[in-house]
Amino acid sequence: MATGMTEGLELRRMGSGVVIVVAGAALAFVAIIMTARRGMTEWSFALTFGALIAIGEMVQFRVDRSRNRAPIATSAALGYAMLRGPSVAIPPDVAQIVAVTAVATVAGILPRAIAGLWWDVVVSCRRGVSVACAAAVFAALAPRDLAWTGRWQDALWLAGAMMAAVLSAGISDALIGAGQATERYNRPFPAALRDELAVMGRIGIAMGISGILLASGTALLGLWAPPLVVVPLFLTQFAFRRFASAQRTYRTTVRSMARSTEIAGFSSPGQNARTAQLAVALGHDLGLTPPRMEALEYAALLSGVGQLALADPSPGGASLLRTRAERQRAAEIGASVIERSGVLDHVAEIVRHSNDPYRQGRANNASIPLESGIVNVALAYEQLVGEGTGQSPGKAMESIGLGIGAEYDPVVVESLRRVIGRGFRF
Amino acid sequence: MNRRVLLRLVVVVTTALAVVVLGFAAAHATIDAPTVFLGLLMLAGTVLRPRVGQVYRTSLDYVLVIALYLLSGVGSAILVGAVGALGQDRRHPLVKKVFNGAQSVICAAAGGMVFHYAGGPRGDDVLSHPWDAIWTTTAANATWLVVNALLLCVVLSLEPGDPSPSTFLRKVALPTSPSLLGYGLLGLLLAVAWLSGLGFLSILLIFVPLYVSRWALSQYEVERRAQAATMRAFIQVIETKDLYTRGHSERVSEGVGMLGRQLGLPADRQTALEHAGLLHDVGKVGVPTSIIQKPGRLDDTEMDAIRLHPARGVELIGNIPFLEEVKSAVLHHHEKYDGTGYPAGLSGENIPYFARIIGIVDAFDSLTSTRSYRPARGVEETLAILTQDRHTHFDPGLVDAFVEVIRRHGWKTAVNQPAPDGSVVAAIDHDDLSLGSGGGATGTAAGPD
Repeated sequence: MATGMTEGLELRRMGSGVVIVVAGAALAFVAIIMTARRGMTEWSFALTFGALIAIGEMVQFRVDRSRNRAPIATSAALGYAMLRGPSVAIPPDVAQIVAVTAVATVAGILPRAIAGLWWDVVVSCRRGVSVACAAAVFAALAPRDLAWTGRWQDALWLAGAMMAAVLSAGISDALIGAGQATERYNRPFPAALRDELAVMGRIGIAMGISGILLASGTALLGLWAPPLVVVPLFLTQFAFRRFASAQRTYRTTVRSMARSTEIAGFSSPGQNARTAQLAVALGHDLGLTPPRMEALEYAALLSGVGQLALADPSPGGASLLRTRAERQRAAEIGASVIERSGVLDHVAEIVRHSNDPYRQGRANNASIPLESGIVNVALAYEQLVGEGTGQSPGKAMESIGLGIGAEYDPVVVESLRRVIGRGFRF
Repeated sequence: MNRRVLLRLVVVVTTALAVVVLGFAAAHATIDAPTVFLGLLMLAGTVLRPRVGQVYRTSLDYVLVIALYLLSGVGSAILVGAVGALGQDRRHPLVKKVFNGAQSVICAAAGGMVFHYAGGPRGDDVLSHPWDAIWTTTAANATWLVVNALLLCVVLSLEPGDPSPSTFLRKVALPTSPSLLGYGLLGLLLAVAWLSGLGFLSILLIFVPLYVSRWALSQYEVERRAQAATMRAFIQVIETKDLYTRGHSERVSEGVGMLGRQLGLPADRQTALEHAGLLHDVGKVGVPTSIIQKPGRLDDTEMDAIRLHPARGVELIGNIPFLEEVKSAVLHHHEKYDGTGYPAGLSGENIPYFARIIGIVDAFDSLTSTRSYRPARGVEETLAILTQDRHTHFDPGLVDAFVEVIRRHGWKTAVNQPAPDGSVVAAIDHDDLSLGSGGGATGTAAGPD
C-alpha cells in the first residue's frame, strides 16, 4: 500500500515535468521545421546569440532550494528575441528565435550531460517556452520595420515592447514554476505564485534588463555589443555563484551542527532530519514564504540543540517521555544558544516556543510564531512514528488528534492530516 | 610629525592641481542634457552613499564619468566627477573630504586625457565607430584605476596605522581591477542606450544589473559572516561542558590565524585554517560529559572514548563543503611529529600541514590556560616547553615560526577561568602535554592525550 502510494507520488511528480518537456520539444520541433523550410536569416546574429545561449547553459549554476539558473542563456535568448534594425536588416521571426534557442540549448546541455554535471531538461524547456512567449509578444507589438533610428518616439515604442515581452516571459515562467511547486510540494497555488513572482522581481528583472540591453546594443552597434554586455553579465553571474556557494556552505553547516545531538547520543540517527522533513512538508502545505520556510527548517533541525547543555542523554532521545518543564528548559537553552550566533534570531524564537502547549502558548499569545506550533507537531509525530518502527501513521494521527487545541495547534494538526493523507512517509 | 607635514603637502598639491583642472574643465564643458541628468544622478548617489556603502560609490562614479566622455565630452565628465565629491560622509575629517574630491577630479581628468588623445569618439560617432569607443573608454578606465590606486598608495604610505601600500595593492587594488574594468563597459553601454533615443531612461537599463551584482556581493559577505558566527556559537555550546576549556577553540583559531599570516598563506587557505582551528575539537560533543569532567585518572576505555573525538569531528563536519585540508586537520590534530600521536600514528611531514599548525597552537593554549589540577603557565615558560619538544611532538620549523609570532605580537591568554581545584589530583586534559608520559593512563609515549 505504502509503496503503491509513493510510486503514485513519483509519477505525479514527473507529471507536469513531462508536460513541459513535451510542450517544449513540440514547440522546438515545429519551429525548426518552419525555419528549415523558410531558410535562416542573418546567420551571423543567429550564430553569435546561439553561442551565447549555449555558453550560458554550460555555465549554469545552482542556487540552493531553487532550480538551476543560467542567467546568461536567458538574457541572450531574450536579446535574440527582440532584435531590430538598423544593424539587423531582417529581424528573426518567432519560429527562428525558438529554433535557435532550442538548438543552442541542446548544444549547451550536451557537454554538461557528458561531463556528468547536474542539468535539468525541464528547466531548459521552461526557458524555451518563456522565450517563445517573449518573442510572440514582441513580434505582436513591434512591427518588423520599426528600427532604432535615434528618434525618441521609436526608441520609446521599442523599449515599451521589450518591457512587455520581458514581463510576459517572466510571468509565464512564474506561472509554470508556481504550478510545479504546487504539484511537487503541495503548496497552495497563490502562495507559490507569490514566491515565484518575488524571485522574478529580483533575478528575473535583471536578466530581462540585460536582454533588453543586449538587443538594443546589438541593433545599434552590431556584433560589437554582445561582448560588451556579456562581460558585466559574467561578472554579475560570478558574484551570484559565489553568493550561492557561500549560502550552500552555510546551510550545510547548520544541518551538520544539528547532527551533533545525534553524535552526542541525545537523539537517534536521522531524527532531526526526519522532524525537519515533516516540518518542511507542513510549511509548504501552509504556504509559508521562502524565508519563513528556511527558518522553520533550521528550527526543526536545531530544536534539540539545547539538550547539549543538559547533563545526560535520555535513552533514544525520546523527548516526549520527559517532563514538560524539562523540555521547555531545553528549548529555552537551545534558543539562547541559537541566539548567540546573532544571525538566527527568528529561528531562536521558534525553538524557544517549540515545546509550549498550544493552549498556554499560541492560543493566547499572537506573538508566538506559527512555526513553533509546526515544530511542536512535527517533533511529536516523529517521536510516535519514528523511522517506521513506532506506531502506524493512522494511530499516531489519532493520538495527536487527542491533543488538538490543548497541546497542538489545530491549524497545524489539520495540515498534518492533509500531509499524511497525501501519503507523506519518512 | 614629518610624515604629517608631508601628508598635508600632498593634499595641498593634489587639491591645487584639481582646482586648476576643474577651471579648465568648466571653461570647456558643454552643459547638455546628459551632463544635467547624469550630474543629478551623481548627486543623488552621493546623498544615498552612506547607506549603500563604499564599494558602490566607486562603481557608480566612474561608470557615469565614462558615459559622459562619450556623450558630452571630457570637460563635462570632469565637472560631474567633481559633483560626486560634494556629498561625503560627514564623519570624515575635512582634509580627507578635500582629498577625496581632488582625487575624483584628477582621476576623471587623467582618464579623460587618455580618452581625448586616443581619439575617442563623441556623440553619434560612437555608434558608427564602436571599436574606437570600446578601446578608448577601456584605456581611460584603466588610467582612472591606476591613478586612483597611485594616489591612495601615496596617502597610505604617509598615514601610519592604515594598511601598507603593498598590502593595499595586493589585497584590494589588483583583485578588484579586472571586475572594475569589466563594469566600466556599462558606461559605454549607457552612452549607447542614451544615443539610441532612450535618453535618460537608459539609466535604468544600466543600474539594474549593477545593483543586482552589488546585492549579490553584499549577500556573499552576509552569508560568510553568518557562517562564522554560527560556528562560533555552536563551538561555545560544546565547550560549556567543561569550564576549563571555555574559549579554547576560538583562541586556537586566533592563534593559527596569526601563524598562518606569518607563513603567508593565500586568503582562501588562511580562512580554511582558521575554520579548522575553530572546529578542531568539535568531535568532543560525542565524548560523554562524565568523562570530560571526570576528576582523576581515566581508564583505558575512557581514554579510547577521548581518542575518538577527531574522527567524530570529521563525521560531523564531513558534509560541509570546506577545503579538504580542514577535514584532514581536524582528523589529525593529535598526531605527533615522532609518530606517537593518534588516531593514525602519522609522523613528520606525513601529518597534514594544517594539523601540524593546529597541534602547536592547541598545546600552547592548553598550557597557558588553567586546568583543574594546575594553574596556568606563563607565555615564556610555555614557549620554552614548545621549543624543548620541537622535535618530538611538533614540526620544528613551525614551532620556530610560532615562537617568533608570539614574541612579536603577544598572546591573549584565557580569562575568567575558575581557579585550580585543590582537591583534584589528576583530571587530564587531552591536550595537555605538560604532565609527561607519567600522567597519562595509556602507558604509551603518546603522553596523557
